[in-house]
Amino acid sequence: MNDSRSIRLHYGFRSLVLLLFALYIGHLVQQDALHYYVAPKLARWIRLCPVPLALMALSLGIQALFGKSTLLCDCEHRLPRSGLGSAMLYSLFLFPLLLGFLLPDRSLGSEAAAKKGIALSYIAEEAAEHVKFNAASPYLEEFAELAGKLYAQPVIQVYPEIFSETLGAIDLYKPQFEGKSITVTGFLYQENGKGAKKAFAVSRFLVQCCTADATPLGILLDPATQISLPADTWIEVRGKLHMSFYQGKEVIKIIPDSIVPVPSPSTPYVYTNADSVAAWAEIHESGHVAK
Amino acid sequence: MSTLSPLKMLPLLIPAAFLITAGVLWLPGHPLMLDNAYTVAFKTGFIGILLEALPFVLLGALLSSLLRVFVPDEMISRWIPRRPVPAILFGCLLGILFPVCECGMIPLVRRLMHKGMPLYVAIVFILSGPILNPVVYGATLTAFRAHPELAYARMGLAFLVASVIGLVVYATVRKSPLRLSISREGGEIHERSTRGGKLVAVFVHTSEEFFEMGKYLIIGCLLTSGIQTFMDQGSLAAIGGKPLGSYLFMMGLAYVLSLCSTSDAFVASTFLHTFPSGSLLAFMVLGPMLDFKNSLMLLSLFKTKFAFYLFFLIFSAVFIASVLASLWL
Repeated sequence: MNDSRSIRLHYGFRSLVLLLFALYIGHLVQQDALHYYVAPKLARWIRLCPVPLALMALSLGIQALFGKSTLLCDCEHRLPRSGLGSAMLYSLFLFPLLLGFLLPDRSLGSEAAAKKGIALSYIAEEAAEHVKFNAASPYLEEFAELAGKLYAQPVIQVYPEIFSETLGAIDLYKPQFEGKSITVTGFLYQENGKGAKKAFAVSRFLVQCCTADATPLGILLDPATQISLPADTWIEVRGKLHMSFYQGKEVIKIIPDSIVPVPSPSTPYVYTNADSVAAWAEIHESGHVAK
Repeated sequence: MSTLSPLKMLPLLIPAAFLITAGVLWLPGHPLMLDNAYTVAFKTGFIGILLEALPFVLLGALLSSLLRVFVPDEMISRWIPRRPVPAILFGCLLGILFPVCECGMIPLVRRLMHKGMPLYVAIVFILSGPILNPVVYGATLTAFRAHPELAYARMGLAFLVASVIGLVVYATVRKSPLRLSISREGGEIHERSTRGGKLVAVFVHTSEEFFEMGKYLIIGCLLTSGIQTFMDQGSLAAIGGKPLGSYLFMMGLAYVLSLCSTSDAFVASTFLHTFPSGSLLAFMVLGPMLDFKNSLMLLSLFKTKFAFYLFFLIFSAVFIASVLASLWL
């Protein structure tokens, strides 16, 4: 068992570590950098974390400074006994903080997409053979309705707010969308293959909770296209949709009319939307008003 | 060895100093290394998982210390049915009431066990809690739009696996496998030991739980993000061709990826074309029950022997159940 003096020291250190964690989260919120790591619905909760962390630090601080020596005890939660044990423990807790403060905040890119395996088609093949925009199951109704709205557009805009839903809707009705014009923004994904012919795609990461579950989604770019831009460049692609085969699977591809580098967006990832049809209508409306 | 004099504090500074120096040297001197896609992916993955788990760990620690300070010992054991089958059902339902992610589960369960929850009910709660709740059900349905039956099967399998393991534990384990024995737990000692009343006591306990779990969490996050950064998922997918290999592969993947149970369905859905749906079920049922960071945390809660016994039970039950389920799907 530790004596009261070393317990005070431990409490002091812990209080400091907790305070640093609270500060780091505050720093991320202030820099608007939380979206590099977690989805907005989770970020709400993380923004609240500094409150309990600070309260914990405060309570430990009070114990360390003013707690009566005879009453301090570590009988239930064992504190490390040796200096080395403490050093290991606290440097473990300091490691994420150092990493967080010292390395720049960046979004995942082409390399990570290749490691995770990019998704170029989204809907099971047997589900894809449908009458035009008529969903066979209630779960596909949303995609069918969205596909109907998209089809009515002269040029399909892939809005980042409903990126995965738009790709899903187009993929569900591949044959119908053959030849339609499309505009999509994303980072340039370059396949990691050894061969001379590497596949390119315009891609975004879909994040559900945090970057651990980030799934790269994308649309294949026609292999005949000459692309000299480096991977990870943010690009706006305008072109026509066509059906294609990639690794034995039927996928959609874009035959680009133009590929223009654009500045990277403030929110690099895309997220799922509970009601993509309503979201589409809203963005579409506001877009028209702006024009 | 009990005093920690200022001299003995020195070793504490060494690793910290090393890390700081390494970090600072990294920054201006080697901008190329910082631009390394691996470094970026590692940091983004690591901080991402850590931040994701943080609210849940804090919530679990807070609930646990609230239970400790405010709920008398007998209360919990009075709520739990005496007979094993109703008690197991109770354990499954508890997951619906406390939709805590698996990272927040361990401190809460430890407290519940100290308050008199039987071991097998606690195990059922640990296993079913992260899957059998409305949030996860909704997320799974959204991820498998075209295959809602997979969402039902996931819930059903989780219930089945948790109950079976609960029964097995009930029948086979007699001695308490907890690492810290309950006898040392004197409720009154701690109420006197904190200055500033019960509220301060709650936060002191919360931070003790936080540091207890935090070390396993951080090590788990380090390993997970390391694997995510350097493992090529595509090249491993070749194993998926063999019928049994695909199950083992998806279960191994669930173990090393350590995804949150609300988001793993989306990752599973990207394998829909390449893997049989039974193996996707195995992925979605095993992952929340057993993964890298989770198993480290379980090892901190239980004695090593029992923890490995539990890992074995989970692994084989999920494997058998999902293979059988694939016959029906």
